[in-house]
Amino acid sequence: MPWRRPRRREERAYESRESPEERLERASEAEEERDTVELAALDGASIVEAATGEPEADGSAPSLVIDASRIDEARAARDAARPEEGVDLSVEVARGLRLRNPVLAASGTFGQGTEYAELIDVSRLGAVVNKGTTRNPRPGNPQYRIAETPAGILNSIGLENPGAEEVARTYGPRWAKLGVPVVVNVAGYSVDDYVFVVETMLGTPAVVAFELNVSCPNVKGGMLFGCDPLLAAEVTRAVKQVTDLPVIVKLTPNAPDVVAVARAVEEAGADGLTAINTVLGMRIDVARRRPILGTGSGGLSGPAIRPIALHLTYQVAQAVSIPVIGAGGVTSARDALEFLMAGASAVQVGTATFADPEAPLRVVEGLAAYVRAQGLASIRELIGAALPARGAPLAE
Amino acid sequence: MILEEGRVVANTAIGELGALLQVHAPGVAGRAAAGQFVHVRPGRGWDPLLRRPYSFNRIDRRAGDIEVIVKPLGTGGEWIAERGPGDALDLLGPLGSAFVVRRDTRNLLLVAGGTGIAPMRVLAEREAARRNVTLVMGGRSVAHLWPSERLPASVEYVTTTEDGSFGVRGRVTDVLPRLLVWADQLMACGPWPMLAALGRMRDDAARGPTVPGRAPLLEAQVAVEQHMGCAMGVCRACVIVTAQGNARVCREGPVFALADVRFEAGEPATVGLP
Ligand SMILES: Cc1cc2nc3c(=O)[nH]c(=O)nc-3n(C[C@H](O)[C@H](O)[C@H](O)COP(=O)(O)O)c2cc1C
Ligand code: FES
Repeated sequence: MPWRRPRRREERAYESRESPEERLERASEAEEERDTVELAALDGASIVEAATGEPEADGSAPSLVIDASRIDEARAARDAARPEEGVDLSVEVARGLRLRNPVLAASGTFGQGTEYAELIDVSRLGAVVNKGTTRNPRPGNPQYRIAETPAGILNSIGLENPGAEEVARTYGPRWAKLGVPVVVNVAGYSVDDYVFVVETMLGTPAVVAFELNVSCPNVKGGMLFGCDPLLAAEVTRAVKQVTDLPVIVKLTPNAPDVVAVARAVEEAGADGLTAINTVLGMRIDVARRRPILGTGSGGLSGPAIRPIALHLTYQVAQAVSIPVIGAGGVTSARDALEFLMAGASAVQVGTATFADPEAPLRVVEGLAAYVRAQGLASIRELIGAALPARGAPLAE
Repeated sequence: MILEEGRVVANTAIGELGALLQVHAPGVAGRAAAGQFVHVRPGRGWDPLLRRPYSFNRIDRRAGDIEVIVKPLGTGGEWIAERGPGDALDLLGPLGSAFVVRRDTRNLLLVAGGTGIAPMRVLAEREAARRNVTLVMGGRSVAHLWPSERLPASVEYVTTTEDGSFGVRGRVTDVLPRLLVWADQLMACGPWPMLAALGRMRDDAARGPTVPGRAPLLEAQVAVEQHMGCAMGVCRACVIVTAQGNARVCREGPVFALADVRFEAGEPATVGLP
């Protein structure tokens, strides 16, 4: 959608615009047209110009029609048929947290949930995990922050986020309207930081659980919590003391002993685990003879890490009795099934969404189709199907 | 923005600039504006994984076609650059902000460096019938220049090449001073060093007295090229530093007020991924 014409000439080109999420929200309340008229009245532009940011072309179709169709599209998307309806996909993704289906959008790859709502029906997801939220606003890392690798990407975003208070204030009201549960991803540098973020976010609409990012490899110190079972347990315990909501701990594959960390946080009261965060990696710019990423190394994600994530899910699921959410390279229902059979109760879809914004919904649809085709009563029958202890071979 | 399966109509090599892809995509074309971009998936698989952002080089709403220049950078860029007529292309767009031409602008000055020609061509085609348009194009050599026969006849153009193979030897900023006096509004797109040079001209103008040519610099709009991940505003891979703090090139940008971009904060990139 083209931007609006600035109200006054001296106003900065992009300041006067609202974010597309905000626009969508208002569009759904059918205020778009009125506002456009107001804007037009303000600066003397025609309605078409105000709506498109372009001077009105003589004789061409009025561009305002385009805006109206966008509103219809958004509505149509929301009301679209849900092929997964009627199939029992509900799962317990953490102690005390049951979701309508086992597909979550992964932290850092889905913003605050509102952005992709413009493109897909996010209310069809099991839940959305928001971008890592810290006590204070963080500007993030120097450029470059992203590089492509074989079947994956490296990122070094550096937890750029506006801070817990701002996230709660700005996104709470929007989450209330999203129609999907929100899990808040919490990051920090001290036990106090984690506790502060959780306390700040308590009572925010739609928030159903916290996911402790003890594993972000990009920030100095972040490595500590997730790599040391004692520290990870300490953070978990402290957070559990301030909230009744389920607390999920997200494991880092970069820890020397991932299973030990998993056991320690379960012991400390964690209600669930996510396995895994990104894997440390690097690329060099040969022409410049230096690392591509501004921070040197970064976190690898995407299909490239799927076998690693699957292996760790398989190991962790056998070591603990709380639910495990698998994450790492999920692109399709088949990938998700691998994680479920390896013992995961749910999956997160992250990097795949960048390539195909519909990927998370395709996973939901594909899982429903599989459950139907296999004549299962519920998707839950598949959880851990490939674990040695159960050994239950799949029908067919 | 929408997801749309476009169909390639034509693929024409444009010197060293890359492949000019004409794609039938009425949904995207109907919504697109100069300065915005489309995020193109390089295939249907997951390797290469990331979409590539391409600024609209032409928007033909009536025919439902868009054109983009694709540099064959990386395996993904190569794959897209090699698409031929009839091939499908997975498009996400239009994305980002657009240039805004003031109603009272009589003389519009457009400045393009390399593939930065894309949004300038859209502006030139749209504005040529409405006001006086002068386009300054710069490139390393004549092979890096946009062919003038693909511009509206009424557009005046000035070319610069670094090797002197065509037009004025030097950079676009060398020929700007005399044109700025003429211009009511200035819009530019190109590599970071070119935009940074414009930024320095603006800073000098801001400090200096009120002289002809000052206003268009102070109010200039520029489109920035940057590495991207999602292009949906969620990953924050694409941020640059602006007067308002970090801004996402894919959302708040790619079009920014020149005055707002903090060039000293570092070079973000040229288009495409290494
Ligand atoms: C750009 C980007 C940003 C991320 N930011 C976060 C974050 O803020 N907090 C977090 O816990 N994980 C973050 N992750 C990790 C993902 O949530 C996920 O665990 C990981 O990418 C593996 O899943 P995938 O292969 O499906 O992307 C990020 C990943 C990417 C690609
Ligand atoms: S590319 Fe992801 S925020 Fe801009």
